[in-house]
Amino acid sequence: MGTISSAFSMMSSSLDADQAALNVVANNVANANTTGYAVETPNWQENQPISINGVESGDGASETGSTSQRDNVLLQRLDQQQQLASASSSRLSALNTTQALFTPDSGSTSSTAGDIGSDITSFFSSFSSLETNPTDNSLREQVLSSASTLAGDVSNAASSLNSQRSALDQEAAGSVSQINALTTNLAQLNQQIQSTSPNGDAGTLEDQRQQDLSQLSQLIGINQIKTDNNGLEITTTSGQLLVSGNSSDQMTSGKVDGVTHFYLGTTDVTSQLAAGGGSLGGTLTARDQDIPGVLASLDQLAYSVSTSVNQLNNSGTDLDGDNKNAGNIFSEPAQVAGSAASMSVVMTDPNHIAAAGSGDGTGDSSNAALMANLGSQQTVNGQSPINYYSNFVTTLGSTVSSVQTENTAQNASVTQLQTQNDSISSVNLNDEASAMTTLERSYQAASQVFTMLNTIMASVLNLGEQATVS
Amino acid sequence: MSGSEMRRINPELKQLVAEASQALACLDADRLEELARSCQALNRELPNLQREERIELARQAGAAAADMAVFGRVLEATRANLDVMNRLRELQMGRLEYGQHSSPPPLPVGSLHGDN
Repeated sequence: MGTISSAFSMMSSSLDADQAALNVVANNVANANTTGYAVETPNWQENQPISINGVESGDGASETGSTSQRDNVLLQRLDQQQQLASASSSRLSALNTTQALFTPDSGSTSSTAGDIGSDITSFFSSFSSLETNPTDNSLREQVLSSASTLAGDVSNAASSLNSQRSALDQEAAGSVSQINALTTNLAQLNQQIQSTSPNGDAGTLEDQRQQDLSQLSQLIGINQIKTDNNGLEITTTSGQLLVSGNSSDQMTSGKVDGVTHFYLGTTDVTSQLAAGGGSLGGTLTARDQDIPGVLASLDQLAYSVSTSVNQLNNSGTDLDGDNKNAGNIFSEPAQVAGSAASMSVVMTDPNHIAAAGSGDGTGDSSNAALMANLGSQQTVNGQSPINYYSNFVTTLGSTVSSVQTENTAQNASVTQLQTQNDSISSVNLNDEASAMTTLERSYQAASQVFTMLNTIMASVLNLGEQATVS
Repeated sequence: MSGSEMRRINPELKQLVAEASQALACLDADRLEELARSCQALNRELPNLQREERIELARQAGAAAADMAVFGRVLEATRANLDVMNRLRELQMGRLEYGQHSSPPPLPVGSLHGDN
């Protein structure tokens, strides 16, 4: 190749390479606003040296294509954090709706389901009032009225919780078609990538695959395993196969006891999906754990109040003189489960309230006093009704607060990783080293702020206590 | 330092903590360094606080407890992200040192010297 044309070839090769590199830059700029597009850098390959009149010269460089600057480690971490953030977001949204049932809005004394705490207090107080004048009809009416308000609010809350659970069930069931569409697409992309770029970066095809993975991560928790020839195997976080090479396992759903369950093959993966992450995981956690937990607490309250009040009413004497046979005030629940939804007042005649003790005259009020005392006795799982309800609301608030904290932190983590990913994969002027420096600087400074604030808070809390006691 | 001066420098601890979480989420290193300096200044002022200022700051500290929990979790997540990025850098360094050369293998010695 020792000719002048070789020299021209060398120059021309370099120019071609420059042109190809310019094309890559143009492509980056053109795709700057395309979601999921990863910046491409030209690959340069040194050509074989040539000899012109015995003098060795290099043959310039050839542009051999482009490689997207994506990093799978970072992207997988981003997908993983996205799964957690999506799960806590959907769970938080459901919990906020649940909490609104029991927490009065700002500036209001009544929540969506009324104020059960006040209802409990009013109901037992009505017996205290009756105790002062057990034959007074209006006071007897007041007992039944406050019982109706309490029962109505409890059953309304239970009904709202059941409706919310049904809505979450529908929402969860709707995810199946989205998941299947994504896994089908991912299998097709796998096939294309493996056939076109088994040993290298597949450019836009990999961008599309990453976008689908990101969307799938928002729906469910997944694991990604790189396979031969640039393929990708995708499983749920508990290991059930979703995509392998060019085939995808379709998810199916079916009702079990009125609730949607999810299957991969014949395996019921509902509980694994709940624990796995993604919006479906959060929705299932709310549907299968949070709301049933709240309902169970409400059921326990309704069951204990109904049975204890009924029992006392049937142990006294009513205004008609019926002894130990006055009847129930509330519908008698057969079991704890479902007590809240079915809570109602069955007594219609206020004369049947057994204010008097067994065998005592109708003017006696000793049984009314006992019923009033039920409000402060430990009749609900070792707590008084009002304390039980108060603790229930506090526990719910604490769960919401804890999920809120997790969600804020996870969203912050996603934002950070997105920033890092943007600096590597997207079309902008930052480079990776600068991104790392920013991350490290931010962490160092934030650590200082945190340590300093901890010190300040510990100090001022001590100082504050000293100041208030001195 | 009077109460009004203290509040001017540090309006509410709760606000400061929330801002730190936000700045960390967005990796705003400049703002975080400013906040660190503010905290240092506040810490230096602690022994000189008047009784009312201490009580006010104690109230603010109590109100900021939940935000501190959030900030702590964001910091924890950042630590994990930093670990991932450092691991990533190590992998990249490894690739640079041990493999994936794009240039072709060296030619035979005779060819390099133009013997033929």
